[in-house]
Amino acid sequence: MYPIILLSVLGIVVLFLGFMKSKNILLPATLLFLALALGSNFIDWNQGPLLYFYGMFSVTNLTLAFNAIVLISAFLIVAMTRGFQDDEEAQPAEYYGIMLFSLVGAIMIIGYEHLIIFFVGIEILSVAMYILTGSDKRNLRSNEASLKYFLMGAFATGIMLFGIALLYGATGAFSLTGIRGFVSTAAGAQSYILYAGLLLLLIGMLFKVSAAPFHFWTPDVYDGAPSIFTTFMSTIVKTAGFAAIFRLLSHSFAGIYDFWYITLAVITVLTLFVGNVVAVYQDSFKRMMAYSSISHAGYLLIALTALTAQTERSILFYSMAYSVATISAFGVLMLIAKEKSLDGRPNESYDAFNGLAKQNPLLAFVLTVSMLSLAGIPLTAGFWGKFFVFSSAADRGLIWMLVVAVLMSAVGIYYYFRVVIASYMKEGNTGKIRVAPFYQIVLVAATVITILFGLAPGFFEQLL
Amino acid sequence: MEQVAFYGFSALAIISALFILLTRNLMYAAFGLFLALVGVAALYVLAGADFLAITQLLVYVGGILVLLIFGIMLTRPADERPDAATRPNRIEVVNHRRFWGILVAVVLFGVFLYTILAANFTLIGDVLISRSTIRTLGVELMTSHLLPFEIAGILLLVALIGAAYLAMNRNPSA
Repeated sequence: MYPIILLSVLGIVVLFLGFMKSKNILLPATLLFLALALGSNFIDWNQGPLLYFYGMFSVTNLTLAFNAIVLISAFLIVAMTRGFQDDEEAQPAEYYGIMLFSLVGAIMIIGYEHLIIFFVGIEILSVAMYILTGSDKRNLRSNEASLKYFLMGAFATGIMLFGIALLYGATGAFSLTGIRGFVSTAAGAQSYILYAGLLLLLIGMLFKVSAAPFHFWTPDVYDGAPSIFTTFMSTIVKTAGFAAIFRLLSHSFAGIYDFWYITLAVITVLTLFVGNVVAVYQDSFKRMMAYSSISHAGYLLIALTALTAQTERSILFYSMAYSVATISAFGVLMLIAKEKSLDGRPNESYDAFNGLAKQNPLLAFVLTVSMLSLAGIPLTAGFWGKFFVFSSAADRGLIWMLVVAVLMSAVGIYYYFRVVIASYMKEGNTGKIRVAPFYQIVLVAATVITILFGLAPGFFEQLL
Repeated sequence: MEQVAFYGFSALAIISALFILLTRNLMYAAFGLFLALVGVAALYVLAGADFLAITQLLVYVGGILVLLIFGIMLTRPADERPDAATRPNRIEVVNHRRFWGILVAVVLFGVFLYTILAANFTLIGDVLISRSTIRTLGVELMTSHLLPFEIAGILLLVALIGAAYLAMNRNPSA
């Protein structure tokens, strides 16, 4: 609750700070604001389920934990933006302001209780992403990505709104509790309008988290956007989006599980298949990460499809592990792409990583740990993320889905290891890359979190 | 009387929507959209949603449509032919996969038709709304719906910053 108000106000403050001649204050100020928001997030900790604003916004320990993941990811990503100020034409105040505002949207869709809050939140998040995607105006691919994302996103929004309207028509309620009340009645469980509304709303939500077959925008957008915003998109939007879908399904529609789980199961398998298999054929590391984010959406969807008592924890853990590993992977990518730039454009292919380990053992180690975590190798957080997700699916008896998921993770190991092999075993002439101290702290912190939760996942359980 | 008005305006909306679909002239399509939007606004009035109807007229008919016509005017392709100014604004279609388009549309229409026919609609609230809804809307917007109302300001601010940022020309020589 408090972060929403704080971030809205502080975002405006950041815009005003941009008027000052020196741009150096912007980064520390933004980091301070994010830390403040994170602190204010925990005011409500252990206060029990609370409802704010006439029952429009709900606060539980679970939503606070999701908020914390989103805010910490944002903190790490913003800390990596150092270097923006070097560019004469960059407008850091606008970037930082939009990032803070987009977090408002993310927090709203994590804790919504009323569908209007959800809708406004997801629109803030999406509009901010359309802008950040196109922020590299001199890059034609960035412009294309922004336009594509905007057009497809506008359609997805339309479909989602249609779904919300149908849900209101069927139930007469916008609040999740009201909808649940209707679903639990005999008439509600048979209402076709309700079914149609739920499906349309789900299509819109699944578009935002790039589940197949609504994923076609993902590779182009992730590839075209500046890397720092790709990181932002693939961590924060995904975490918040899955929190929102989980909230909707577990809170309102658990009563008609038999209806929606078939749809979701088909989408899950399709997402796993498309994400992992197409990722194998990519030559660009960044594009591979785009498909890898689709495949991780698939793993998270397994937990949603299962919807057991552990689902909330497994989604929480998985998105935490995924976010941290993605941030460190993109952090290394940004450094190397800049170092090896071709014709003034960052080089994001696998070849750029050749021979990385010789002169930059730290970067190679960070990259390796994050790839191991994304692939789900034991002793990393990613392994336990997959373990929790798979075990909740096993509890529900979705064995056939588990078989597909395990096969697909084996495929994943192939493409995640390609870059590790390139950096350790291939010949290349990567010189010593100078890493700013701030940047180094972020990379090390992300790696330590990955290993820490990989060694002691129970620690996380105790935190909750 | 109400029945006649309902079917009349529905027919207006549907026929003009079909006209948008079938015409090959971009300008005619824009005018077809005008009639369709007016028809929908009239349906809102019949449903008792007076504020929605006024907003529909103000925002869509008054704002969006003018914007659309400006868009058509400003994005005319360069045409070297002498009678270019009087030529109709043809919609150029490159992709001709009609079969799949029609199939998807028909299936979707069938699904919605089935859903609506199978639905057992019940009236929510008062059947006869004689008073204006504007007062209630204003009170609700400032009390129970204050949070989304205020946060919508953030959405508009983000859109504004984004539009200004993307439209700004940083490279005057280009």
